[in-house]
Amino acid sequence: MSLKAFKRALWVYHLNTGSCNGCDIEILAVLTPRYDVERFGIMLVGSPRHADVLLVTGPVVKQMVPRVKRIYEQTPDPKLVVVVGSCGIEGGVFYESYSLAGPVDQIIPVDVYVPGCPPRPEAIIEAVVKAWVKLEKAEQGVR
Amino acid sequence: MTLIAESGYEFWNPIIWLITFAVVMVIVYFFRKQGVEKYKKGEDQAQIFLCGEEVPEAEQRRVRGGNVYWGFFETLKEYYDGIVRLHTGIVNDYVVWFVAVMAISAIILLIVKLVG
Repeated sequence: MSLKAFKRALWVYHLNTGSCNGCDIEILAVLTPRYDVERFGIMLVGSPRHADVLLVTGPVVKQMVPRVKRIYEQTPDPKLVVVVGSCGIEGGVFYESYSLAGPVDQIIPVDVYVPGCPPRPEAIIEAVVKAWVKLEKAEQGVR
Repeated sequence: MTLIAESGYEFWNPIIWLITFAVVMVIVYFFRKQGVEKYKKGEDQAQIFLCGEEVPEAEQRRVRGGNVYWGFFETLKEYYDGIVRLHTGIVNDYVVWFVAVMAISAIILLIVKLVG
């Protein structure tokens, strides 16, 4: 699929909502020379205000709820949310823990799920590309 | 009438200045147009990003002049604690200090005079 509406590089903000850091390490691996997603224009940015996609890891602990909502609200439209890892999808190893308010889709709307504990870097890249396609469709709808 | 003012080292021409100003404004306008126009004004999208924390009021997030000297005051804290304690703001205390210092100075001068 060629991009016609969403032509700029895809900027991603990584949000950790209480992850064990396994998924975060895999996200870092995506940026290393072996996978090097920056060659496709996919870049990790330091602020959600610059991002098109939120990459969310972790099962969302209670203290993170207002922060997750605020970061989601601060991301400019159109935006997409990609949940990386089993924890964010259904709690994972922290399932039914007393400290959880998640999973992620109970707090903010989620567009792409990447299962795995942790998922492979290839799976994360595929999810981001799917998000990119969804953004392209959203941009086409806007215009 | 010439518009060029020369000092021997440089010159000032208001026409060149106006043209430069106009060119810079066009460049600024071009970059500003690249920004996202459809954002939610007055909501979180217009707020600064503080790692997801609630943005405090402007008065609370400013760095005051006194904050610049934090290290200075922290290092000399014992000295300042003593000095601040003495400054009660009561005139009677200051007069007592004045009289006491005058008395001690007079005694020292008297001793110096007698010894000398």
